[in-house]
Amino acid sequence: MVVRKYDEELKYLEKMSPNCWKIKKGFQPNMNVEGCFYVNATLEKLMLDELRNACRPGMVGGFLPGVKQIANVAALPGIVGRSVGLPDVHSGYGFAIGNMAAFDLDDPNSVVSPGGVGFDINCGVRLLRTNLYENDVLPVKEQLAQSLFDHIPVGVGSKGIIPMNAKDLEEALEMGMDWSLREGYVWAEDKEHCEEYGRMLNADPAKVSMRAKKRGLPQLGTLGAGNHYAEIQVVDEIYDKSAACKMGIEERGQICVMIHSGSRGFGHQVATDALVQMEKAMKRDNIETNDRQLACARMLVQMEKAMKRDNIETNDRQLACARINSQEGQDYLKSMAAAANFAWVNRSSMTFLTRQAFAKQFHMTPDDLDMHVIYDVSHNIAKIEEHIVDGKRKTLLVHRKGSTRAFPPHHPLIPVDYQLTGQPVLIGGTMGTCSYVLTGTEQGMLETFGSTCHGAGRALSRAKSRRNLDYTDVLNKLEQMGISIRVASPKLVMEEAPESYKNVTDVVNTCHAAGISKKCIKLRPIAVIKG
Amino acid sequence: MAVNRKLTALEYTNADKININNDQEFRKIVGWLEQYKIKQAPNDVATILLNINSNDWNKAYEKYKNNLNCPQNLMRELDWIAGVAIKRTYSANKTKFNKNAVENLKATNVPNIVTDNPLDVLDFTTNEFVNGIKNLARILKVSPYPDPMVTLEACRKVIETKMHPAALANPKDFIIKGTPFPYHNADLGFDLGDVALNHAAKILRLLYIHDLRDLQTSANEVIVSVQNITANPKTDTKLGKVGR
Repeated sequence: MVVRKYDEELKYLEKMSPNCWKIKKGFQPNMNVEGCFYVNATLEKLMLDELRNACRPGMVGGFLPGVKQIANVAALPGIVGRSVGLPDVHSGYGFAIGNMAAFDLDDPNSVVSPGGVGFDINCGVRLLRTNLYENDVLPVKEQLAQSLFDHIPVGVGSKGIIPMNAKDLEEALEMGMDWSLREGYVWAEDKEHCEEYGRMLNADPAKVSMRAKKRGLPQLGTLGAGNHYAEIQVVDEIYDKSAACKMGIEERGQICVMIHSGSRGFGHQVATDALVQMEKAMKRDNIETNDRQLACARMLVQMEKAMKRDNIETNDRQLACARINSQEGQDYLKSMAAAANFAWVNRSSMTFLTRQAFAKQFHMTPDDLDMHVIYDVSHNIAKIEEHIVDGKRKTLLVHRKGSTRAFPPHHPLIPVDYQLTGQPVLIGGTMGTCSYVLTGTEQGMLETFGSTCHGAGRALSRAKSRRNLDYTDVLNKLEQMGISIRVASPKLVMEEAPESYKNVTDVVNTCHAAGISKKCIKLRPIAVIKG
Repeated sequence: MAVNRKLTALEYTNADKININNDQEFRKIVGWLEQYKIKQAPNDVATILLNINSNDWNKAYEKYKNNLNCPQNLMRELDWIAGVAIKRTYSANKTKFNKNAVENLKATNVPNIVTDNPLDVLDFTTNEFVNGIKNLARILKVSPYPDPMVTLEACRKVIETKMHPAALANPKDFIIKGTPFPYHNADLGFDLGDVALNHAAKILRLLYIHDLRDLQTSANEVIVSVQNITANPKTDTKLGKVGR
């Protein structure tokens, strides 16, 4: 990192509009394109404070500030357009979380980077609607929360209740949601309302290690820990009546269920491969690394080798990447796709279990409860898409890490039911705060390759949250708000307390004001289950 | 992988053990598919494809796969060619396969009677026909178009969707319900610079969306009919474990 005073750093940043800042070339070395980030007044202060702190003398170690990470991504080979920071951006491994970047497939130097996808591959949000209203659910809220908790195992080391063997897993990795359909866990209409139709066709389970498969097998149909949750939510406000109507949301008070989960240990293992092999490879190749980078994968090590071979230079060692067309790049994309399929099967299994829980509670079939999937989004993924860059049609590899695809009306890749409204974008709040449904816009397509925010975005680190907050306070506060909670490890809830996050409403309002997506529905939780 | 399943269906020996990254094996499979299943390549190409050690193999293969409109990607190529082979095999033995199709196993054996179609001998240019169509359109409240054949097409659509026996018996089930969408406010995504043209483009888009919906619905119906055979969802609460 270039060491400069804060005032000097600011010379490279320019406020282009009330909600968008430009990061000029030179802010970090070798930037191929400019960067940008979207903020409002509150988030702007958080963003610049983070940079100011990093400029203080003696600040070394830890992640780089988000704005520096956005600029480092702008220095990767083959990047086109801009390196985009969304309003919920915060530092992550290599790429900031809330960063999107697109690479030209026709440029032989273009790269794919596991750091641009994240460790929880295809982490995403699914929203189910019901025809129930708040009054129907409030009297049985506790029972329903308990029933969900009984059906969907949560927490680190949890195991699912859908029996699967190794062969089932192989097929699920290849087929994604088609596997869930074949086995009868989900409805045909669910597939229609899922990004990518719930299946990445280039998945190759043969590229995935045994270890990942072993880790993944018992975890299917489990929610996981961290910021993952399943929530019973109430429609609190409708901003766009006709778009909401297309999603089957008629009026305030209607009950929905939001599931926020990813590819569990499987996805993590795909990125973080067997340590033994990694250490061997590192010794052999003389790769030095500090502790954090130990968390990187054999895949990453292979990529580092490939980077040496192909002369790819990056500003940050965490930005390990490989040429898209290299063996390492292709292998990563195929195993990433398998992990993405795992996540869809996982969310589909939880959809099935949620429907079961509701059906038992209300003695009605899920069909009669109209428990359709409104949509399912991925916010940690890399995908090949076509976009217009400088007036020319280009095929790009679009990395979205902590960023949600938000395609405009009439885009061929969005479901027919949303052709007029634009793609639904599901923004999960933090435990106890509200969540939002947005829709994609034409302007987002032009400015951010059809991408928008993904959630609140961390403001305090997990460790800091544990130090500064008391878990009983957090639980009491939720109770006061009338939110039932079932949690596997209460002592960790302060990591996920709203205080640890940026305000999701700030984040969503910034995206709306900047025009990169449009507010449609606001939801508030009445029951939460989490790890 | 899907390609293994396709090859198994085609009765290729040891289909689940193939390694398509092995050049020799890949060539062998392509040659086999052409020789026994697709049987479409001109003689010279077919001969080279079968000779897996030929120096001209790649050249012949390039030509062959272009003829099959095959995508450029090793994995997909074989998948595609196997798909073509399945299509050929199916077309050649349609009656045999269809006899065992689920729908037909359920349906009673109704003899298929083919009669001459009286419409085939109709003279579409006579005044009688033109006026008949006009009258039909008036009754159905379809706006007539200068070409009576187009008007007829529109009438057919109305009859097909609104006047089949089920619709006449229970008209309520076939009246489209739902909330109208203010499509005039919807973003078209482009501007043709003319109000009327933009309006027309929007109508075309709505018609397209309508067709797409029908297509998606039939895709869903296919999935459901397959689910009727394959689906067997299970849960076992004994397996469940809450974590930390």
